[in-house]
Amino acid sequence: MLTHLMNASLMTLGLALTSLAVGLVLAILLCGAEMSRFALLRWPANAFSTVLRGLPEILVVFFIYFGSTQILFLITDQYIEFSPFWCGVTALSLLFAAYGAQTLRGALNAVDKGQRQAAQALGLPPLYTFIHITLPQTWRHALPGLGNQWLVLLKDTALVSLIGVHDLMYQAKAVASRTYEPFTWYGIAALIYLVITVVSQQGLQRLRTRVTRYD
Amino acid sequence: MTDWLFSNSAGMPDWFGYLPTLLQGVNITLQITGAGLLLGLVIALSLTWVLERRIPVLAQLTEGYLLLLTGTPLLVQIFLIYYGPAQFEWIKNSWAWTYLREPMFCAILALGMNAGAYTCRLFKGALEAVPRGETLACQALGMNNWQTLSVKLRHAMRRVIPAYSNEVVLVLKGSSLASTISIMEIMGLAQRLNGQTYDTLAIFGLAGAIYLLLNGLLTLAFRRLEKRALQFQTQQ
Repeated sequence: MLTHLMNASLMTLGLALTSLAVGLVLAILLCGAEMSRFALLRWPANAFSTVLRGLPEILVVFFIYFGSTQILFLITDQYIEFSPFWCGVTALSLLFAAYGAQTLRGALNAVDKGQRQAAQALGLPPLYTFIHITLPQTWRHALPGLGNQWLVLLKDTALVSLIGVHDLMYQAKAVASRTYEPFTWYGIAALIYLVITVVSQQGLQRLRTRVTRYD
Repeated sequence: MTDWLFSNSAGMPDWFGYLPTLLQGVNITLQITGAGLLLGLVIALSLTWVLERRIPVLAQLTEGYLLLLTGTPLLVQIFLIYYGPAQFEWIKNSWAWTYLREPMFCAILALGMNAGAYTCRLFKGALEAVPRGETLACQALGMNNWQTLSVKLRHAMRRVIPAYSNEVVLVLKGSSLASTISIMEIMGLAQRLNGQTYDTLAIFGLAGAIYLLLNGLLTLAFRRLEKRALQFQTQQ
């Protein structure tokens, strides 16, 4: 049964990594929209971030899972379910994006204005300046915040067990009720989550020392 | 196609029909949040004190507690506390069982223990951010440990209050997980309504609006508190 949980933790990891990838892309887009000159882009993006950060994560997960079914029902008059996995990825990546966009915005703003001005004075083209001067520094500022959000994302994956994704939490629940040993199995699940988190933290620490070695 | 918008004959959206039911949960949500925060604060203050004074064995235990509570999902913690004890006969036969079989007690306990760990990290970080020179100055002036700590605390307050309001929002959001152990707070009622009607968008939309409103009010209250508590620093 332990192998059961091990396989399920691969599911959890896959879910988290997929959500991270999608979430990062969304975060970049959202950050761009929030900093855009056009109010028509800026305003909805801001509202989206604020709303998503104020809602309980479980509500977001349920809203997307059951809500997508309702929308499909209104269109097709049939109850069709989207796969719980992809609903989970959608919810988690939207949540990641809402928080990640703030981090990215802060990191972009933290890049010293003088850097851009210096590049301008040297006659570097704007795009070149952005890619080779602004972005590397933004990345460095954003890394700790994004790392934290990755840890939050990892823990939030447990919520998708409630919509039926067969992740670590789901299997722990199944095994616990089959064996009547809830303490043992939820305890083991907690330890597996802990190991994943601690390994992530170590990895992030290494990444950070590598990224900031020029400071 | 559009009759889903107008489900009663008056032509008015029936969306607000769910509101009275959902509002019944606000009370329990606030109870769990308030009690969880209070427990969290007590835990955080004692743990920060243990870490600050570097009490030998307790400090290591505290580190372990922080790692365990901040490194695992809140949902697992709630399940562990609510379902876990039933595995042991001796717990079931003891006085503790009268409390541990209560979902409300378990939800508050889990949320409080979790909040305590995060808040402790917050307090510890704020205390560490106080410049070392300040502590040295206090010692040079002949202040004792308690006086030094009180100076540090006042300095740390400035950092803690804004960050603590985030923690409050986090606990309020976390209280929604109590619905998983059969508590009928806002989220629990929303799930029940959803199970009866499948009118997901309206129900969870309304529930979300209630959560946003509560969060907004709490944040506003904290901003006022912040202004008041930090007056001595801004007025000079």
